[in-house]
Amino acid sequence: MASLKNIRSRIGSVKSIQQVTRAMKMVAAAKLRRAQNSMLQARPYANRLRDVLYNLLPQVDREQLPVLQVRPEIKRTLMVVVTSDRGMAAGFNNNLIRRAQDHIDKLGKENVSLICVGRKGRDHFRRRDYPTVASYIDFWSALSFEHATGLGAQIVGRYESREADQVLVYFNEFGNVMRQDIRLEKLLPLQVEEGVDIDTREVLFEPSREDVVAGLVPRHLNVQVWRYLLESYAAEQAARMTAMENATENAGEVISNLQLIYNKARQSDITKEILDIVGGAEALAAAEK
Amino acid sequence: MAATFQLEIVTPTKVVDCGQVDYLRAPGQDGLFGVQARHTVTMARLDIGEVKVVAGGKQRFFAIGPGYADIHGGSVQLLVESLEEAGDIDEARAKSALERARQRLEHRTATDVDGTRAEAALLRATIRLHVAERG
Repeated sequence: MASLKNIRSRIGSVKSIQQVTRAMKMVAAAKLRRAQNSMLQARPYANRLRDVLYNLLPQVDREQLPVLQVRPEIKRTLMVVVTSDRGMAAGFNNNLIRRAQDHIDKLGKENVSLICVGRKGRDHFRRRDYPTVASYIDFWSALSFEHATGLGAQIVGRYESREADQVLVYFNEFGNVMRQDIRLEKLLPLQVEEGVDIDTREVLFEPSREDVVAGLVPRHLNVQVWRYLLESYAAEQAARMTAMENATENAGEVISNLQLIYNKARQSDITKEILDIVGGAEALAAAEK
Repeated sequence: MAATFQLEIVTPTKVVDCGQVDYLRAPGQDGLFGVQARHTVTMARLDIGEVKVVAGGKQRFFAIGPGYADIHGGSVQLLVESLEEAGDIDEARAKSALERARQRLEHRTATDVDGTRAEAALLRATIRLHVAERG
């Protein structure tokens, strides 16, 4: 059995670990609240843009705008993988990276260009020699809409130059505090879903219907990218919060186990000492007789 | 008192409700255009530039990013990627951005992709400075 002093110092170190994990949990919770706020604030803009765009798209000739053209054959894929810069969030990055990697292997490494968002993804794919064409790291803590516009412009540029025939995005979606879902979305070519019906017969378009759509598309793509970043950031904080909560609990268990061992060891030490004393006293008494 | 209309400016990070306003001037794709109450229903593409809002005799100026204007009946909605009111613009930052963009343009090469980005940055900084001086 370990010495008392030994056990005491182990209890001390587990306690300080517990303090760290508790603090990390609290920081993650605060960041999560901020991320959720940003998500709420983006919604009116994103929804309005989407409604208008989905409504107008069927009315214009898609061939006019490079980002709207659907290419007959999909040869090359641009894949955007959104991960975090830091770990300590259970399977948050690993599960997503594994799914993305399987997908890339299925398409064939040589047919894919990668954009890695977040240090974890970049490091993983760089070590394994996957063709990363761009990476964005160390920006999560100062996340702003400009990051989304920068990434959006990068993606559109590569699509328009025919470096890629489709753009897929892997990211973690924030379900709730306990759940993150890995999502795969096709950003380009633009998918048109049913939008709300806006009567545009009487609307004057300035300068023209086509021009308005041409202006809306990049805005829409940017806000989609913004959504991916915010979802991933919120999901990351939620995952870390849960992971750190578990770690804090586990540390508590370890502490109480160690405390038990410590008490037992102390008890048996005392018993041993009493035995020694009693034994000694009896020996003395026997000698006196 | 002339008729007024409701104006709201929506960006990905905030919604600014300007309330009832008398006049709006916005940078369209083909130049500045003005909006007053009872404007015909219009969807206009907006370029980056300066937005002027007149409400109750007071003028407000904003620097905006690209977007579009949705003008319908008694209300106008601007959806723009960025929005800064004249008083909130950090002039020192805008000046240094302008300087950076100028330098990058001076050293540009013919096929430089960064050239177009620098041009855009130059334009943005110029607009922000211009709007800031109004504040």
